[in-house]
Amino acid sequence: MRLRSVLPIVGKIVMMMSIGMIIPLLCALYYREKEIIVFIACIGITFLSGYFLSRIKEKDIGLRLIEGLAVVSLGWAILTAFGALPFYLSGTLGYIDSYFETMSGFTTTGATVISNVEILPKSILLWRAFIQWIGGMGIIVLAVAVLPALSIGGMQMFDAEAPGPKLDKLKPQMKETAKILYGVYLLFTGIEIILLLIGGMNLFDSTCHTFCTLATGGFSTKNASIGYYNSPYIEAVIILFMFLSGVNFMLHYNLLRGKINYFKDKEFIFYLVVVLSAIILMTFDLFYNVYGNIIDSVRYASFQVTSIITTTGFATANFDLFPSFSRVLLLILMFIGGCAGSTGGGIKNIRVLIILKYLYRELYQYIHPNAILSIKVGEDSIQEDILKDIMGFFIGYIVIFVIATALLTAYGIDIITAISSVAATQGNVGPGLGLVGPMSTYAGLSPFIKIVLTFCMWVGRLEIFTVMVLFVPDFWRE
Amino acid sequence: MRVRSVLHILGQLLQIVGLSMIIPLLWGLYYRETESWIFIFCILITFLFGTFLKLVFEMEDIRLIEGFGVVSLCWIIIPIFGALPFILSGELNFIDAYFESISGFTTTGASVINNVEILPKCILFWRSFTHWLGGIGIVVLALIILPALSVGGRQIFLSEPSGPKLDKLKPQVREVGKIIYSIYIFFTATQIILLVLAGMSLFDASCHSFAALATGGFSTKNASIGFYNSPLIEGIIILFMFLGATSFSLHYSAFKGKFKAYLKDSEFLLYVSILGIAILTVTLDLTYNLHENILLSFRHAIFNIISISSTTGYATTDFNLWPDFSRMVLLLLMLVGGCAGGTAGAIKVIRILLLFKIGLREIYRIIHPNAFFSIKLNGKKISEDVLQGVSGFYIFYMVTFALCSLLMLIFGNDFITSISSVAATIGGVGPGFNLVGPMTTYSFLPSIPKIILCFCMLTGRLEVFTLFVLFSPSYWKE
Repeated sequence: MRLRSVLPIVGKIVMMMSIGMIIPLLCALYYREKEIIVFIACIGITFLSGYFLSRIKEKDIGLRLIEGLAVVSLGWAILTAFGALPFYLSGTLGYIDSYFETMSGFTTTGATVISNVEILPKSILLWRAFIQWIGGMGIIVLAVAVLPALSIGGMQMFDAEAPGPKLDKLKPQMKETAKILYGVYLLFTGIEIILLLIGGMNLFDSTCHTFCTLATGGFSTKNASIGYYNSPYIEAVIILFMFLSGVNFMLHYNLLRGKINYFKDKEFIFYLVVVLSAIILMTFDLFYNVYGNIIDSVRYASFQVTSIITTTGFATANFDLFPSFSRVLLLILMFIGGCAGSTGGGIKNIRVLIILKYLYRELYQYIHPNAILSIKVGEDSIQEDILKDIMGFFIGYIVIFVIATALLTAYGIDIITAISSVAATQGNVGPGLGLVGPMSTYAGLSPFIKIVLTFCMWVGRLEIFTVMVLFVPDFWRE
Repeated sequence: MRVRSVLHILGQLLQIVGLSMIIPLLWGLYYRETESWIFIFCILITFLFGTFLKLVFEMEDIRLIEGFGVVSLCWIIIPIFGALPFILSGELNFIDAYFESISGFTTTGASVINNVEILPKCILFWRSFTHWLGGIGIVVLALIILPALSVGGRQIFLSEPSGPKLDKLKPQVREVGKIIYSIYIFFTATQIILLVLAGMSLFDASCHSFAALATGGFSTKNASIGFYNSPLIEGIIILFMFLGATSFSLHYSAFKGKFKAYLKDSEFLLYVSILGIAILTVTLDLTYNLHENILLSFRHAIFNIISISSTTGYATTDFNLWPDFSRMVLLLLMLVGGCAGGTAGAIKVIRILLLFKIGLREIYRIIHPNAFFSIKLNGKKISEDVLQGVSGFYIFYMVTFALCSLLMLIFGNDFITSISSVAATIGGVGPGFNLVGPMTTYSFLPSIPKIILCFCMLTGRLEVFTLFVLFSPSYWKE
């Protein structure tokens, strides 16, 4: 890998982010907060560092796939380091905590270390929500354009081109796709802000919540999350947009062009079935064991299920107090996550679907040892290479999960908290169960554990292998 | 599937099981117990039913596909006859007796009997003897039948390159089978002698030998091996649990004088290192967090870790009271299990090794997209079929584990009890944590959870696919 061709690109992204910091600066000016200086300083530092990075001499050889990997994985980590500055400089958090919070933002996780968000200055709150929104944008491009090109975790099946494209060649296509998807993203953001305003939220809160919903992030401006408003209308709006954000954005794009092909997409159907059946199962559990009335049960079950499966992490009830069955159901949903090409995290529905089909084929193969069967999703049959990648991805996902959980228990965390906090950060959900439940935060954990969980968010968001390659010496050779 | 030949073979095996009941009968006569007459009755029923099946159903040519039927049906039906002594003696009702008997034949060691010390000796002996019979079956299954059926990547153990017929295997089966039996019997005898020398009575020594070598875990004492509180006895049992959990084909080479075979086998080496790391970390954990002195910690750690990782399930202390980290280590060991050619259950070390290699290959493949990597084990290339089998097995195992845990949760068990009971039964371990800890039993569970756990024991023991093939309608077509 040639670090010299990677850093200039990262530098450009860092410069772009410094421009993004103008928005919270404006907010600080509007509310006349003393954080104006903090943001000016942050913009200065970030812009200059980005500028110096971008001036590193680039030999014009162009990008190979391997540099693409480095841009994504290193870029994410470096960007987070600068994004953490406002929290750190404003004195809100220590640096490890700031880094945790920012990584949680950029990866659209929503795990927070701030116990009381309501006392924070508005500009900091806006920045916190805004990084999720930027993160969401990054993820969509990553999922639709970059990862398929790098053939990470079987994502190449979403790639229209023949196998083995160069990253150079993708550039124009990437730009085109990205533009369209950003259009969809902006449109949804606009609509949701308006709908929330109608529901009685003020402009500031509705903007923050919208940013976090579309990115399936989950930072709220209230300690009680969406539960604060206790309004079925607001919940319904947020459920709708969380659900939409968990769907492949290409499908939304097609909708805008007038082609409704949601139900032609097998992944969408699978996702819908999983969401509905989880809601039904949880409604029964809540009906018999908690609320005793069907309307409340449906209301809380549908919000919690959508929030967790789309890996948003908003809460309207303290689901840590739900019966064991509902809690484990949520835990399983954390692993499944959203659809590929959405802002959701987790393993992704398409992979789960293909793995299930693969298992069925394995069984069938034992009975008919000589039959050659291909796995089909819709009408396309899945290549063996992609299958292998998906298996590899699944194995990698579970291995990281197990190792991180073991590390946490080694530090004296109880088993439920350990399992759920790793599942929640690796799947980019946010709140877990036990000590890290929806009504508490990650603030009480020790710095080492926070570092482990920060790593989990990073690794989970970049689909495991994009980050894991950094640990192979081969990767660093020029 | 040709049901007739399957039933014919089942008949043969039932005759053997019937005849083997003579041994507990002899113990019963020796101790002048009134329960002896039960065994006369059981022998008659089992033997006669076996003969009946054998006479009515003619043997036809056996194809590979009948292998699944033979293996699964035998493991389902033989325990019914194995349960007869428990039922007829009035100790247990049918479901409990079947649970206990399946737990015996699958060498799990999960018990529903709260106070084993008041049971008649002949019943106790039969209980341990089911382990021993099951153990023999498992070694043959692991080294001969499953590789021929290529279940879960098992074909790796076949000496022949591809697709052997079960017919062709017959002479080979007999030959290898004989050698394995003699090693098995030799180990049992040695262990009995050693335990008698260490001060156990002949009766207890043989019961514990049967259970340790088969990695079962039924004891004749309520406090398991903790009853004796003797380092010497613990040492002997540790040795034989370890031997039971390592591959019998390695023991075979050792008998032929090739002791180096152990050191050349990657699976064996990995198993030893996993044990080493686990013992070390748990010893430290116990020393610091339970404030035991280091020798006692080591003694407890080494026994219970080898007991759990060999999927035996003996205990010298209530490991349910250990700190969370140690319990987590034990839970992971339950999932990993022992080596593939032994009597241990669970995923098996060799599969874990291959899974890691698959993960690593995935990383390398991303760095060098155009290179072709093959995975090697012990210097030999592993074919893609095997790798697919291994990943499929792993995923199936995890999915079954998750679904069964969810079912256990639905029946109102707490989180840790649910996952550990499923991990302990599907892995063939025996005791889990919390309500099913080493000092308690499974007797408190209602019938349906017991049936679920019976299913888990069978699924785990038959390596998932063997049993699941039966659920496919097309399997039953002739």
